[in-house]
Amino acid sequence: MTHHKISRRDFITAAGKGAAYTVGGMLGVGGVFAPMLAQAGEAVGGGFLDPKPTHYPGKAKSVIWLHMNGAPAAQDLFDYKPDLIKLNNQDVPPSFLEGVQVNTQGGAGKLMASNRTWKQYGQSGKYLSDLLPNLAQQVDELAFIHNMETIGATHDISTMLLNSSGAVPGRPTLGAWITYALGSANPNLPPYIVLSNGGRGLAGGSVNYSAGFLPAVYQGVPIQLGDTPILYLDRPDLLSSSQQRDSLDFLRQVNQRHANRYQNDSELKARLEAYELAYRMQTTVPDVVDVSKESEATRNAYGIGTEETNDYGTNLLRARRLVENGVRFVQVVSGKAGKYNDWDAHSDLEGNHAAQAKMVDKPVAALLKDLKQRGLLDSTLLVWASEFGRTSYGQSGTGRDHNPWGYTQWLAGAGVKGGFSMGQTDAIGLKTVGKAVSTYDFQATVLHAMGLNHLKTTYLYNGRSERPTVVYGEIVKDVFA
Amino acid sequence: MTRRTRFVTALGLASSLGLATAVAAADDMKAAAGAAVAAKPTTPIPHGVFQKPADDKPTAKLPSNWAYRPLEAPALPATLKQAKWARTPVDKLVLAKLDKKGLKPSADADRATLIRRVYLDVTGVIPTPEDVAAFVNDTSPQAYEKVVDKLLASPQYGERIGRRWLDLARYADTQGFQDDESRPGMWRYRDYVIKSFNDDKPYDQFIREQIAGDELWPGKQEALIATGFLRGYPDAPDHRDLLEKRYNAITDMTDTVGTAILGHPIECARCHDHKFDKVSQKEYFQLQAFFANTLPSDNLPVIDKGERERKFEADYAAWEAATVDIRSRLSAFVEPYRDEIVNYGHERFYEDGRVSLKKPRSEWKSLDRWLNYRFDQYVTRNNPNYGFDVSFFAAANGYFNNRLEVAAAEPNFDKAKLADIKARKEAFGKLYAEFRKQRDKLPPQGATIVSAVFENGTDAASQFIYAGGDHHRPVDEVQPAFPALFTPGKTQPAITPTDHSSGRRSALANWLASADNAVVPRVFVNRLWAHYFENGIVSTVSDFGRAGQKPTHPELLDYLAKRFVDSGWSTKAITREILLSSVYRQSSAERQDVAAADPYNKLLAQFPRKRLDAEQVRDSLLAAAGLLTPKDGGPGAFPRLPKVIYEASARNVPDFWPQTDKAEDRYSRSIYMYVRRSLPYPMMETFNGASPQAAHSRREVTTTPQQSLTLFNNEEVFEWSKTLAGRVYRDSASNEDAALTRLYRVLYSRAPDAQERALAKQFLSHHEQIIAQQITNEGGKFAVAIPVGLKEAPQVSPTRLAAFVDLAHALANSNEFIYRF
Repeated sequence: MTHHKISRRDFITAAGKGAAYTVGGMLGVGGVFAPMLAQAGEAVGGGFLDPKPTHYPGKAKSVIWLHMNGAPAAQDLFDYKPDLIKLNNQDVPPSFLEGVQVNTQGGAGKLMASNRTWKQYGQSGKYLSDLLPNLAQQVDELAFIHNMETIGATHDISTMLLNSSGAVPGRPTLGAWITYALGSANPNLPPYIVLSNGGRGLAGGSVNYSAGFLPAVYQGVPIQLGDTPILYLDRPDLLSSSQQRDSLDFLRQVNQRHANRYQNDSELKARLEAYELAYRMQTTVPDVVDVSKESEATRNAYGIGTEETNDYGTNLLRARRLVENGVRFVQVVSGKAGKYNDWDAHSDLEGNHAAQAKMVDKPVAALLKDLKQRGLLDSTLLVWASEFGRTSYGQSGTGRDHNPWGYTQWLAGAGVKGGFSMGQTDAIGLKTVGKAVSTYDFQATVLHAMGLNHLKTTYLYNGRSERPTVVYGEIVKDVFA
Repeated sequence: MTRRTRFVTALGLASSLGLATAVAAADDMKAAAGAAVAAKPTTPIPHGVFQKPADDKPTAKLPSNWAYRPLEAPALPATLKQAKWARTPVDKLVLAKLDKKGLKPSADADRATLIRRVYLDVTGVIPTPEDVAAFVNDTSPQAYEKVVDKLLASPQYGERIGRRWLDLARYADTQGFQDDESRPGMWRYRDYVIKSFNDDKPYDQFIREQIAGDELWPGKQEALIATGFLRGYPDAPDHRDLLEKRYNAITDMTDTVGTAILGHPIECARCHDHKFDKVSQKEYFQLQAFFANTLPSDNLPVIDKGERERKFEADYAAWEAATVDIRSRLSAFVEPYRDEIVNYGHERFYEDGRVSLKKPRSEWKSLDRWLNYRFDQYVTRNNPNYGFDVSFFAAANGYFNNRLEVAAAEPNFDKAKLADIKARKEAFGKLYAEFRKQRDKLPPQGATIVSAVFENGTDAASQFIYAGGDHHRPVDEVQPAFPALFTPGKTQPAITPTDHSSGRRSALANWLASADNAVVPRVFVNRLWAHYFENGIVSTVSDFGRAGQKPTHPELLDYLAKRFVDSGWSTKAITREILLSSVYRQSSAERQDVAAADPYNKLLAQFPRKRLDAEQVRDSLLAAAGLLTPKDGGPGAFPRLPKVIYEASARNVPDFWPQTDKAEDRYSRSIYMYVRRSLPYPMMETFNGASPQAAHSRREVTTTPQQSLTLFNNEEVFEWSKTLAGRVYRDSASNEDAALTRLYRVLYSRAPDAQERALAKQFLSHHEQIIAQQITNEGGKFAVAIPVGLKEAPQVSPTRLAAFVDLAHALANSNEFIYRF
């Protein structure tokens, strides 16, 4: 083969490589924050992403879903259990273990109270632990669901269930259903976005933002920290912006000329427009996630510039800017804090939860405050969720195992009753007492806030009328004001 | 927008949005059909509780058992108005409907279009300019037949059609779920599928092997590998609920057989009696009962050893010899603790499954064998040929660590004892670290093992009907039986256990592949038809039940199915018949009369153009650049991942995606790409590749800006464009005009016309100026991309060459390249 002789080398016209490109004069700059060229967007999506009506008026226009990856212990954050503190280091009374399939290696350890101090906050007088001092100031915005229950005891299965209502892969995730049902509010941005800041990432990977059997246009788009938020958003090296524009103009001409032979073929036309939208996205997406456009005070409030909170805070500020621009569903996956990849504290719970809580506390509190100040909290549903909770008994002496039987999640904004708590776990915070809220119920509740009924949101697949929550789900109406 | 526009939109919906929506869109379209220019679509995608969609064109007098009744060859229409057009019986059956509607079929496509089409459809890759020229210049009446026969005989045929079967088999090289562990021997199933199609293995045999190869042909390697079809489901090795793990496994096997082979969404009957088809919940679990003793495995030994296997064994023996010392020291260390370590392993699993793990081997029945086998695979097996980091030594390491953690957390723990435990942990830790260093030198996994299913006893676990499909709520016990819907009156299997196996799957396999079960050949020939045309004769290719669509050409469906069975279930015979028909050879040029009379093109008065699927896009781009590298099967290839994804993934597991610079990794056909369930290859995913999570019946087409970014901004694709530019320059002795012609011939299978040539020249000149201006602006410090692979620097300025790269890149992005017409 001769092609190795000058193999894969570029001729360089002068020393040095790369250049500072300007994007001035591009179409669409400045129009980022308003849906523009709606017609083009329509053609591109082939109608898939056209805005569609809700089933009934819903307060939420967008969801910011804070996934606490690895599963924090409710007993150390939100679920105050004086009895657990009293019973510290004792064997679990057998009555508490009824219906619990203990699968902690080494058996159920002794009951464990961590080194928390608890105080009441806000008008609601809600007890919160000292791990979340900033969030505690916002407690009157939150509606706690203390009686969450799920299935599975491994991160992958329970995370998948929480996101897709399926314990095996293949189902569409909630964000995909919402995008399918409501379309996009801004044709220049993907309507379903996933943000994360390192660590292990969601167990099971992309199944957690997959469109499943829905068309691929509804799947979540990961936006990375750093300079290239979306895959292939940057031009290749050695291709300047004016060069790219000129090439795209030529491509448009070629496609147009070809399409003339297929006058009525909208799919071919849509492909033409897709290139223009892609071109605009090169500017719009980096713009919308550019937190340097925010004031220093705002950035400081989110903890940007402070090591422990910088990445997570950046993602939350990006999340706010995204929903402000019409993105329907933003999932923010919590990541690495210091040496701790996620909240999964099978040992060293003290160190783990201190670091993880420090990472999220200030940014989440800032997000709540910021949304409220901007009048966005009324139309944004904020969700705090995790794949399960953790056991009240210890594991390895210093940690807690997985607990699908009783744990806490909370909602805020979009018509949610602030300063409200519902459901309860037993005296040691292990199991739900009375009626439990399932992941299906939780999804149905989020859909309800968006003005969608989970039973009426259907998609015919393989001869079956599929719903987001399969055949389950009951809206938790109590959390709404 | 015109009517035609609306039609295409509706078609797009039909392919991707499900039937209810498609039908709604069709109605909308019909309503607008009167107006010459319709308003822009206003009908939102409807919500609402599902109702069975009305068939778009109910076929008169089609009996309700059309899918199941015995196959009979239909009478061919005797008098046809346009009989001259018809070359084959297929044509006559299509023409009969066109005649009735008063529509003319289209003339043959021009030869360049036709050969590009048939190459892409049969081999998945564009033809070379030489292939095109040979065909265009061949004046013999058999010119086209010769091409078709050549392509059907080429190994690329199996690589193309085999990929469709892999879609249905939800093929992947990993388990899915949390750590997404490797299945190092799964690739053998992929190669088996490709080879089966290339050998034109009779389809009935193909089915028998995949459902019960291990039982029907014990000791035959190919038959064992075939059962990888059943093993291919996503599996959670770390599932703490072993009973649910087993239930998920046999549920997936049942449902995949239903979708892929029977063409029925039979899984609907798992939770309740089927709402549309006459399949009861009882019948569902009777079908599931055939799998009650089926054990999935990822390390069954290879039977026939070839060069690859012998090399591995030699390498492994060398590794063993080199590590005999450390391994014997490790073994000696853990042996006294063996029971404790196994017990520690047991405690990871739910108590109801642990009951089986605690039973003495002498008391094991089917279910106990299943749970213990899976436990061994996960915890105690120490098979270094396998990718898991959970060998017995790893389990031992976990145990010693855990004991220390527990003891250290106990405030009043005996100090001397604690010191002992700590010393033990550290001593083992050192040994284990030493071993791990050696372990990394193991020869590559997968060389001597197979992912497949088997049975390790003749009895089968009791099968129950589960209330609401919940395996915690068993109702009545059931025995294996076939659903009466398919073979009324023949529902009772004759089951004969073998010496190692229940014999259940053999009975199922023989039933699926019997002449009595006429839906099976109907479903398969319909898939073939759908592969070459945009739609199946039954458009719901995996739902031949009552919620699916009825056939547009029932006689054609039966003709093909009967021919298929009569030809000895020969896939190539039916494919050849389809490809040689006038229907397939038609032009796809737009026709207003067709748009008006048959907006869905259901009657096929013109050929349906189609966007290339994910593999065709990538493989054809590589072929155009001259980079496509042949690969003779074997373990999956790892083409480059985008840096940001690679770095994020490799963070946790360094060998998550061991990409290399070898051509075989970077440039082999996409079917050989390693399929990682948790990380779909971005380019495949963006162009609607198959999801490996469940049987994937149809490749949808969506048009998104992400696709544009993938083709236009992707460094990798840009690199290919540079190579393409270099190639055509090289082929043309660096003459720009000749290179331009060559570029068109490579990408579009035709030369540019005068206008196109002028347009391209104009672009080159203008573009060159832009690049030159850029250099000036940057004070001369600006690099340009020029063609890759030139023999010597041509007497052309680098800016002109850079412009030519961009020309090639733009044309490779064009509709004419990304579609086949």
